[in-house]
Amino acid sequence: MIKYVLAALALGAAAGYLNNNFLNAIPNALVSDQLFNLSLIVLLFVFGVSFGLDKDAMDKMKRTGLKILAFPLFVALGSLSAGLVGGLILRINVAGAMAISAGYGWYTLSGPLIGQLFGAELGTLGFAANFLRELLTITAIPLMVKLDKYAPVASGGATTMDTTLPVIMRYCGDDMLIAAFSNGLILTLIAPFTIIAIASLI
Amino acid sequence: MLNPITLLSLTVPLAVGILLGYLLRNRKRIKLDKVSLAVIIILIFSLGFSIGSNNELLNAMPRVGFNALIISVLTILFSIAFVKAGKRMVKA
Repeated sequence: MIKYVLAALALGAAAGYLNNNFLNAIPNALVSDQLFNLSLIVLLFVFGVSFGLDKDAMDKMKRTGLKILAFPLFVALGSLSAGLVGGLILRINVAGAMAISAGYGWYTLSGPLIGQLFGAELGTLGFAANFLRELLTITAIPLMVKLDKYAPVASGGATTMDTTLPVIMRYCGDDMLIAAFSNGLILTLIAPFTIIAIASLI
Repeated sequence: MLNPITLLSLTVPLAVGILLGYLLRNRKRIKLDKVSLAVIIILIFSLGFSIGSNNELLNAMPRVGFNALIISVLTILFSIAFVKAGKRMVKA
């Protein structure tokens, strides 16, 4: 499965690069936005159906219950600590590094927002670091799941409601649907507020 | 992405799907694996496309790539460690 995912990612990147720089055959947004959103909506529906059909998955989820809502909090605290440590190691603006890690993988938000609050240099770094968080998560899910069932959800951060969700579902099982989706949703909602809060504290 | 319409456009299909799956539970088995794999490939392809067509991102990588890699790896490792510890705390 991961082989197909990586091949599709590489083919997509090559196609996007060629189209954007040479061919200009179709508007980029047609694939990047419309096709992306459409396939995501179809996937969420299909995942929903298979989760609803799966009695075991629902039972397993009921046992964990509302505790799944605590996971995004731990992901947020872990990310912020990583930003603190990373900022000190790399000797860059520590608050800026914490704001970057508070993007939780959502690079289209954190790039521009951090650029506005901390300057273009950190904005670019925020963009790249959060993009790599998404890319590394997709690539390493098969390894991470051996470490802990929730490791891919922790790693994916805000992306577990969309881009990394399908790969997580394949490797962690149907019963992770709600845990992964709610984790991504909550981190997506708090990302802009955490970034702005860090900027206003310094 | 943050606007309420986008959040709804993701949450509603998920909720409708779960409800439908729940109602169909006692019917004969429905195989969705092949459908979802095909759609996953399309989704990941369009994700790749948005990366490949983003010159701003590609141009930034050689310059900030190393620092970005350090921060992203730390963020991933710390998030996993905190969730592992937190799991024990909430006994999940």
